[in-house]
Amino acid sequence: MSMKFTCDDKPTLVAYLYGEVDAAVRQAIDDHLAKCAACADELTSLGDVRSKIGLWAPPDVELDFQIVRKSQLPASNVLRPVRWWNAVPVWAQAAAAILVVAAGLSIANLQIKSGPDGFVVTTGWIQGPALSAPADRVAVDREVEGWKTALVSLEQQLRNEIRASHEAGATRAAAPGVVDEATIRRVQQLIADAEQRHERQLAARFVDFARDMTMQRRADMQNIGRVVGQYDEQLLRQRQILNDQGRVLNNVIRVSSSPQQ
Amino acid sequence: MAATDEELVARSMDGDVDSFNQLVLRWERPIYALAYRVIGRDEDARDVAQETFLRAFRALPGFKGQAKFSSWLYRIALNLCRDWIRRKKRTPLVEMPEGVDVAELAAEQGPVESIEDLVSRQEMSRIVAEGMKLLPDEQRTAIVLKEYHGLTFQEIADLQGCPLSTVKTRLYQGLSVLRRHLESRGMTKFESEKQ
Repeated sequence: MSMKFTCDDKPTLVAYLYGEVDAAVRQAIDDHLAKCAACADELTSLGDVRSKIGLWAPPDVELDFQIVRKSQLPASNVLRPVRWWNAVPVWAQAAAAILVVAAGLSIANLQIKSGPDGFVVTTGWIQGPALSAPADRVAVDREVEGWKTALVSLEQQLRNEIRASHEAGATRAAAPGVVDEATIRRVQQLIADAEQRHERQLAARFVDFARDMTMQRRADMQNIGRVVGQYDEQLLRQRQILNDQGRVLNNVIRVSSSPQQ
Repeated sequence: MAATDEELVARSMDGDVDSFNQLVLRWERPIYALAYRVIGRDEDARDVAQETFLRAFRALPGFKGQAKFSSWLYRIALNLCRDWIRRKKRTPLVEMPEGVDVAELAAEQGPVESIEDLVSRQEMSRIVAEGMKLLPDEQRTAIVLKEYHGLTFQEIADLQGCPLSTVKTRLYQGLSVLRRHLESRGMTKFESEKQ
């Protein structure tokens, strides 16, 4: 049985246009187009539209898309060289840090003062007035000398420790090594001395601060009293002037209001 | 010999990102062209194309190979285009990007043409783009998939989720609208022959 194509079967005409029909349908449409000028014209015009559609080109742009996967390895798995400070025991790092801070504070010679200009914070290598007594100066110099010796000794011990860690191998993980008991005791003693010394210095500075505050308060109170007294004097003087002026004014009024002779 | 899409997909599923990037390189231009012709904006088309590959990469473990990889990509891209059109709630705008001269493009690709022919080609391209803008989304998408990407009616029906006959009807209606538009601009051979 042969297939019949009709003019209103547009979907089949489109399928014929794109060549997606089987042989039987193709034959039926070919037969129809030979007899139907309207369908033949429509097919020609649709084909022409198709040729024009091909002219529409998208812009020629650079795309270069690429999938980049982030590394999912945890950071701890990444190999990296061992730094020298990773090989120094934690206690030694802490002791060194405390000593550096203590030495810094001592060298900085921190001074806090209050005076007529307000609070004054000074640092420097200038010896403060609180240590003006020769006996105090000698005692402090002696103490500083002792600290210097202790610092040099500790530095030497730390260097030895670092060198020993280096020699043990740079790739090993940082871990507490075998520590000389005497060194630990010495460092503990140094830390305790440093803390005690700082407490003493802080206490002395707080006493000085409190004393300065008291003196300043007294001076301020005296100044206030003097200023208030000056104001009282001025007020009294102005009041006397006003009284005098009032008396003069009364006399003038009295004279002008008396009957003319 | 270049690996097939299926081979590259299989390697990508085994974690080979380079294989997936080969697929990207192979399909980025068709996907961009599809997005550009459907939504008509260069920047947005780039975004859609990029997002298409990102989604494909993420969804790759779920790709069972029941469809061709290209059809799968087209589906993702078309869904993104549909989302874009819905989000913007506006008719796709067909624009001629700056710096892109269709006449130059044609001159590079084809035999030497006269200046008149090049200008005429550029003008015709613009008129076709205008006509495509007039079409409803479904008709334009069907024409784009058929004319520029060579998909079969069945593949388009699968992508658009509609019967085969609907695809043919959409194509017929779309082509008819375009024909009228081209005729109104004096562009069709059919019309010129009648005059």
